[in-house]
Amino acid sequence: MRAWIGRYGVGLALLLLTAIAAATVPGFFTRENLTTVLLHVSINAILALGMTFVIVAAGIDLSVGSVLGLAGVLAAATLTSGPLLQAVGVGGAVAAALVVGLGTGVGVGAVNGAVTAWFGVAPFMVTLAAMTIARGAARLFTGGVPIGFPATGDPQFAAKVAALDALHELGGGRLPVPGLPRGFPVPALVMLLLAVLAAFVLTRTRFGRYVYAVGGNEEAARLAGVPIRAVKLAVYAIAGACAGLAGILLVGQLRSGGPDAGLLYELNAIAAAVIGGASLFGGIGTAWGALVGALMIGVLNNALDLLGVQSFWQEIVKGGIILLAVLFDVWTKRGAQRA
Amino acid sequence: MSLLRLEDITKRYPGVTALDAVGLELAAGSVHGLIGENGAGKSTLLRILAGAERPDAGQVLLDGVPVTLVAPRQALDRGITVIYQELTLVPELGADANVFLGMEPARGLALDRRAMRERARETLASLGLPLADPGIPVKRLSIAQQQLVELARALVRQARVIALDEPTATLTQTEVTHLFGQIARLRDRGAGIIFVSHRLDEVRQIADEITVLRDGAAVWHGPARDVDDAGLIRLMVGRDVEYLRQPPAGPAAATPRLEVIGLTREPGFRDVSFTVRPGEIVALAGLVGAGRTEVARCLAGADRWTAGRVRLAGRDYRPRGPRDGIRRGLVYLPEDRKRDGLILGFTVGANTTLPVLRRFTRLGVVRAPAERHAAEEVVERIQLRPPDLDRVTRTLSGGNQQKVVLAKWLLADAEVLIVDEPTRGVDVGTKIELHRQIRALANHGKAVLVISSEMPEVLALADRIVVMREGRVAGELPAGEATAERIMALAVAA
Repeated sequence: MRAWIGRYGVGLALLLLTAIAAATVPGFFTRENLTTVLLHVSINAILALGMTFVIVAAGIDLSVGSVLGLAGVLAAATLTSGPLLQAVGVGGAVAAALVVGLGTGVGVGAVNGAVTAWFGVAPFMVTLAAMTIARGAARLFTGGVPIGFPATGDPQFAAKVAALDALHELGGGRLPVPGLPRGFPVPALVMLLLAVLAAFVLTRTRFGRYVYAVGGNEEAARLAGVPIRAVKLAVYAIAGACAGLAGILLVGQLRSGGPDAGLLYELNAIAAAVIGGASLFGGIGTAWGALVGALMIGVLNNALDLLGVQSFWQEIVKGGIILLAVLFDVWTKRGAQRA
Repeated sequence: MSLLRLEDITKRYPGVTALDAVGLELAAGSVHGLIGENGAGKSTLLRILAGAERPDAGQVLLDGVPVTLVAPRQALDRGITVIYQELTLVPELGADANVFLGMEPARGLALDRRAMRERARETLASLGLPLADPGIPVKRLSIAQQQLVELARALVRQARVIALDEPTATLTQTEVTHLFGQIARLRDRGAGIIFVSHRLDEVRQIADEITVLRDGAAVWHGPARDVDDAGLIRLMVGRDVEYLRQPPAGPAAATPRLEVIGLTREPGFRDVSFTVRPGEIVALAGLVGAGRTEVARCLAGADRWTAGRVRLAGRDYRPRGPRDGIRRGLVYLPEDRKRDGLILGFTVGANTTLPVLRRFTRLGVVRAPAERHAAEEVVERIQLRPPDLDRVTRTLSGGNQQKVVLAKWLLADAEVLIVDEPTRGVDVGTKIELHRQIRALANHGKAVLVISSEMPEVLALADRIVVMREGRVAGELPAGEATAERIMALAVAA
């Protein structure tokens, strides 16, 4: 019984929360509003999916928020670079921005993973350093102000706006869906596809099995021939890639790259993963859990917003939910051990 | 009136009765042996005694007075100390700090560190463990020494009832002798000792009385001098079991599969040479700390050696990691299965296929049916009961966990298997079965190196015995010439 609740509890809690919100909050249970919730959680959910790989491997990545910011400003700068636009046009610039954004994320993540794996430094410290460095780099690069949107009188004003508009199709675009007058937001679709991909990788691939093995018992995994270091490097690179992708989506949404974008997002991502059942001790966690955890936070925020509750109260409630999730986790595990 | 009396202790877990109206009487100044197969209820009984678990029925009487033990603290305060097989020391803390953990002497608000050091030094010395620096972190002590630290802890608490769970499982013969000397001294000072062990000869040697548990019930109780090993085994398993020598099916091949030549890793071992041939079981015998596990870890690629060389199937072998070993067909079944051998959160199936997952993978994706098929086959081969692949490994008994470790490396189809303490903490029935499995491997042409601290096991299994002493090879004996006495003479001689 406990084991069953442990497995499906978070999903049930999300359904319950949604049902309560639907019954008590006017304007919550409409197609339009639920679509908005999906859009709002997409950035956090994407970070949480990457974070889940790291947490399952018994690590932690504090740098994803900063990496999101750094990847965003670098992608924005690439997208609106005059010479580049002249050379390869709007399409080429968008492609280059994607490569730069994802590359930044993968690069920083790989460094995180390499330092953790080869020098045996605690991931908390490595990624704390990376978090500070990446944020500093983003501010240094931009001079502390958002970049991307061209000034009036820019000789390539039209091309740059066109490039930003093109990326906006990704970060702020909507796909026409019957029954949804405003369409389905592209970032939410990206989030769902990524969740499917992450779930597949974690549960069906050899690499996924290795991630759980490393997090479950690193020494036993090593003696079983699992390439520990490569796995660690990969999970941080994945978390970085997710941060880079989120950075690109945010630039597309806002049509600019802000140096402070993603501030403290790492904590929301960790919260989502943990609410979704991931254990910070490693070895436990699922992609669906991360998605559901992010949705829990999103539904809660949205419902409280609609009720006109102050955002400060929302933070307090979110903290309470995190605590409940962890207590719940302990409760189900204790039951499992007795059985 | 007895010092400790357990009356009708009953403990039920969902679906299973761990203890069924068990009674036990312990007189002051005596040793009471408690034996039974894994899962017979010994550990549960000890946990109840330690206040870590509450019985569903029955009572505990101390000096004839019923006591409630609902928290470990209460048991300790009443002078009951349980020393578990998995020791409960804080590895980073000093021996002295561990001895006084939870009852630190203090002057005002500050710890009285000097008193702690001195009293710990005295107490440990009285147990035959003279430490130059009692502040040495216990993780740097051997298991046997750590056990004495636990015993010292019981002494400074002035424990009157001391229960030891499998205290000799990880000890060598001399260490056991030493421990028994200390137990006898505590007994003579009026303590009541409960001694839990799988080693029946030891139980009969040290215990005055014996209680046999089977499936949660006390099936026999009586003076130790009234029974012999065969009788005890019959009582434990309810059938006749012999601790048979497993003979080889035929002669081993002439050319060695594994050649270890002058292998050295300071300070662990030096100039170690031996060979293992296909179809042969070689035992690496010796005292704990003689460097056997260190040699095994180097051969497995878990550690590096500094000098010497190794040839595997006639070719030079120098692994940079366990992966290299596995690739070359050499696998290591570690001593501590929970720490090194298994991922306890994994299912049985996932644990067995982990080293060879590549085999069931296409384009990075695991082909579940192929994986399952292979796991089913190997689990059947080792006769895991129940053969449930989806069960989480953590919930298995120690013997079954060890079978899973074996299954995993069977699946790897290695040519050389290094098996470190394969039957530690495993009941007699499973032990014999594991012996059979190991012999079957050799009969299939594998080269097997067994490390064991249990003399009967070495004698029952090995075709050749390499004895190590203080990091060096002290001698080699063919099975025909080996006796416990001769092995021991090599292991301890000055």
